[in-house]
Amino acid sequence: MTDTQWETYEVFHQTKKGDPHIYVGSVHAPDPQMALQLARDQFARRLKCVSLWVARSKDITATDYQDEDFFAQVTDKSYRDPKAFEAPDKESPDEH
Amino acid sequence: MSIELPASVPHDPLLRFILALADDELMLGHRDSEWTGHAPILEEDIAFSNIAQDELGHSLVWYTLYEQLTGKSPDAMAFVLAWNDFTCCHFVTYPKGDFGYTVIRQYLFDEAEQARLTALGESSVQQLKEIARKLIREEAYHLLHSKGLVERLGDATVESHQRTQAAVDEAFPQALGMFEKLEGEDELVRAGVFPGNEVLKAEWLKRVVPVLTSATLTVPVAGQDGSYTTSAKSDEGGRRKSHTEHLRQLVDDLQAVYRMAPNAKW
Amino acid sequence: MSTQEKSKEQKLAEFEARINRGEKVEPGDWMPEEYRKTLIRMIGQHAHSEIVGQLPEGKWIPYAPGFRRKLTLVAKVQDEAGHGQLLYRAAETLGKPREEMLEELLAGKAKYANVFNYPTPTWADVGVIGWLVDTAAVINQTMLAQTSYGPYARAMKRICYEESFHIKQGYDAAVALAKGTPEQRAMVQDSVNRWWYPTLMMSGPPESMSVHTSLSMRWKIKTKSNEQVRQEFVDLIVPQIRALGLDVPDKDCHFDKSTDHWHYTQPDWEELKRVVNGDGPMNKERLAVRRKAHEDGRWVREALAAKGRAKAVAA
Repeated sequence: MTDTQWETYEVFHQTKKGDPHIYVGSVHAPDPQMALQLARDQFARRLKCVSLWVARSKDITATDYQDEDFFAQVTDKSYRDPKAFEAPDKESPDEH
Repeated sequence: MSIELPASVPHDPLLRFILALADDELMLGHRDSEWTGHAPILEEDIAFSNIAQDELGHSLVWYTLYEQLTGKSPDAMAFVLAWNDFTCCHFVTYPKGDFGYTVIRQYLFDEAEQARLTALGESSVQQLKEIARKLIREEAYHLLHSKGLVERLGDATVESHQRTQAAVDEAFPQALGMFEKLEGEDELVRAGVFPGNEVLKAEWLKRVVPVLTSATLTVPVAGQDGSYTTSAKSDEGGRRKSHTEHLRQLVDDLQAVYRMAPNAKW
Repeated sequence: MSTQEKSKEQKLAEFEARINRGEKVEPGDWMPEEYRKTLIRMIGQHAHSEIVGQLPEGKWIPYAPGFRRKLTLVAKVQDEAGHGQLLYRAAETLGKPREEMLEELLAGKAKYANVFNYPTPTWADVGVIGWLVDTAAVINQTMLAQTSYGPYARAMKRICYEESFHIKQGYDAAVALAKGTPEQRAMVQDSVNRWWYPTLMMSGPPESMSVHTSLSMRWKIKTKSNEQVRQEFVDLIVPQIRALGLDVPDKDCHFDKSTDHWHYTQPDWEELKRVVNGDGPMNKERLAVRRKAHEDGRWVREALAAKGRAKAVAA
């Protein structure tokens, strides 16, 4: 049996209901339930927290920084921007 | 801020009761804090330090209540009292041992706290009720942590099983000492302050026996369906201020610096 | 052209251009091998310092005088474990597992901050370490919060936030002694006398003696020289020491109007070399304590890992 420092879990922290969960770091833990507790002690002992998520680092699927083409936007897509269109006219109260 | 108690509540037994709570938390918190920098893994070092701070913090809450009733400050009590004037049980004074002993001790203490604080949440003394309802929330987290470790370590590997079993064998009789009867306890029970140590012990057994047993640990009890008796001999005397050398050593450490200048500001 | 097709020189040029624009480097980005190695070394040493750093002050937890000091000290030493945890994780993003880093530390093969190789014989050392050592550390860490490597910068920002508590609790404890009984005053002065030079050495030797600086500065791993950081520390701390009626143990320390800085005597750099290479007063003992904790905890780590695997299979 090899002595390890356990697997890592990525930790997400919600300050109050309505806020998004924010990524705050990772903990080494032997299982998901312990990861929640260890994350609470490492990341929520000072900051207000109403919810914590943990996910095994292995389960995170991520893009590769070196593959910039994944995010390439080369054609003009300003048609998606609300500013590209005229807003409805608002009738001035005086015109009534 | 000083407070007054209802006349129906016996004064001295209540003060004794509060001090026993304060002293238990102080000694256990002290022992727990000895793990900071020495725990099996970084994350557990951080987690256990929280528990140590909570226990010391709870001690401070009880000592502060004592101050409101008598005028004696928490530091003037905890850091000045002679070692054989404390009323903690023996259980919380013993050295921290290996991590198995610490986890089992913490678990057995946490379940006792659950039973005690739940009962105090219905106390006839308003201050006890309020404090208990506040502290039980932190204690719930301790229980989650210590119970989680017991459940895992009890049967994870041959070694972890052996160590946790050895810890249970050692700690169980010691833990019974948490429920040593207090002087004047019957009056407190009659006044509705708390249901008495025998009741709390029965409640405690109901909680710990199934958990230890499912973790494949054997416990020296007989009975079933939540009603247990034990043949283990209770390691008691602490409530009567009859202590072991372990407490003398602990208090020597605890008070070493403070006593250099007890009237000074540190 | 995709990244793989560019030449090494092109990649390096683009990397340095990005650094100069103030952009951050993330795990998985192409980076020169020297950048990776330097960061693993630096972050690792920083993490080791936090872990070993728990011991000099942690020793005083059982003896802390009064509830407030005891609680505060547990919280402070807990933070050090927490900082170590964040830093090891940042180093792990560069491909070095925590097991390996800990093995190196415990085998005496890794370096860590010199200061933690000195003994803490009195309670006053707790306050003085928080006050002096952590002030020096914060100056360094505030700079490192701007470092070019993303995970290190993020860890540093979190650490800086907690570090101000460390300084304040240390200063508070030192002030209580400085304003206390004659014995308390003597205790804190003696502590300052012992910690002054080791703290000056913390920022590292002057650039002419340091092997590592030029690439670290070029790649914005750090942005101030060791001398700059040290001078900043001296300028900040000397007035604080004197305001408490305490002496700086350096007869030559004086304010130089022509430079607008406090002049100080350089520490003995030979001592620093000895101490960081394993020959300080407490090196062996500190590592022995860490080794024991690690060995004693082996069965716990193995048991919880085995249980975790069993749970995962059952799920």
